[in-house]
Amino acid sequence: MPGKPNWPKTFNPYYMNEHFTNTDQLIQYLDGELEGEALTNLQQKIETDKNLAAELENLRLAKIAVKTYGLKNTVRNIHTEMMKELQTAAPAPVIGMRRILQYSFRVAAMLVLVAGAAIVYQYYAATPAQLYNDNFHSYNLRESRGNNNYSKLEDLYKAGNYTAVMDQFKQLAAPTTEDYFLEGIAALNAGNASAAIQSFLALQQLNKVANTHLLEEDATYYLALAYLKNNEPASALPIFEKIHADEGHPYHRNVSSWFLRKLRRLAK
Amino acid sequence: MEPAGNLPDSMVLKILRSEGAPDEAIRHLYRTQYGIVKNHINQNNGSDEDAQDIFQETILSFIDMVKKDKFRGESSIGTILFAIARNTWLNELKKRGRAKLRDEKFEKAKEGTEMDVSHFIVNRELKAELMQVVDSLGETCKKILLAFYYENLAMKDILQHLQYENEQVVRNKKYKCLKQLEQMIAGQTQLAKNLQSILYE
Repeated sequence: MPGKPNWPKTFNPYYMNEHFTNTDQLIQYLDGELEGEALTNLQQKIETDKNLAAELENLRLAKIAVKTYGLKNTVRNIHTEMMKELQTAAPAPVIGMRRILQYSFRVAAMLVLVAGAAIVYQYYAATPAQLYNDNFHSYNLRESRGNNNYSKLEDLYKAGNYTAVMDQFKQLAAPTTEDYFLEGIAALNAGNASAAIQSFLALQQLNKVANTHLLEEDATYYLALAYLKNNEPASALPIFEKIHADEGHPYHRNVSSWFLRKLRRLAK
Repeated sequence: MEPAGNLPDSMVLKILRSEGAPDEAIRHLYRTQYGIVKNHINQNNGSDEDAQDIFQETILSFIDMVKKDKFRGESSIGTILFAIARNTWLNELKKRGRAKLRDEKFEKAKEGTEMDVSHFIVNRELKAELMQVVDSLGETCKKILLAFYYENLAMKDILQHLQYENEQVVRNKKYKCLKQLEQMIAGQTQLAKNLQSILYE
């Protein structure tokens, strides 16, 4: 610059002022605040002045660095926040699941053991009386498949007066199949198993003679129960086995394999 | 890997492309993608802490891609995030010298079949160096520069926020702070060169 003193750059007020102006303009340019003639002039200067272009480049890097720094801080803050949220919302840790599974398996194993012990106990503790009690259900007269001419016995049975049924039966000169059946059921209800056995056997004999099958399936089932009640498991076993083997038998469902297993042990 | 949250991919991209706060989009990415990335890293010799670091890096690289318009939803966000995370973690393993032969083989095998995102994964050391440079600015400088360039606040808002006398004082302060940062970067020639190579891709 002609006429100006030859000062070193750092003390040169013209240089400092010019440099300041340039940097200020570069920043305005970077921020998109420069326009018109000032913008055109600066763009021309940048094209010709390598130092100015380098300064602009570094300013641009500085701006990007700030943006990156800000974003990194944002991500870091959100990360901290989200780690708390995700930990709260996370399912139980694997170790917890393992413990739950282990506990479940232990409980299941315990249940299996308890169930196994109960089965073994049931098997060895079973008695003919217990099997009878578990399977005996008083006969419902509405299920009667015969005729209803014996109304007096029926009325007494319905009234639950079983000994009266048995007494009345003894008065009959020629009992029918139905009479024998009612008397047998009444005897079982009254706890007289041997009388019940006699009645059911008589019923079967009567059917055999008459070549009929009146109440035969019911009588067979209750005869077997009467044998149990009378502590004669060996006599009951073949009858129950026959019912179990016959899927069409009306009492088939009442005779399970498990029931037969217990009965076989008792019949030995 | 479809997003499981309530923000569709298009909305996430819209938020990240805008000048506004990206917070909600980032939260959504954590809720839907963090678990997947964490599982991958845990299954490949990485700890939970590694997973956290890598996911932060992944988010930064992904936002960078979106802002540079290098990702326009060609695949799902889940797919691209997983690819970035996987590459970032592989680089980290290599750096630690623990990359196994199978990783290298797998990397070769995936070439041409998997989306190549390696260009967008900014070197972690370089980024850390850059952060250190900005961090070494004074607190006031950082506040002003962040308010203006990151939060995009107007001068009058910065004035209220930082309680300066007038806008010109803030403007002068901002000028000085940016110039200071520019000189710090100029003083580290190699850093400046590296930054140029990665930031202007």
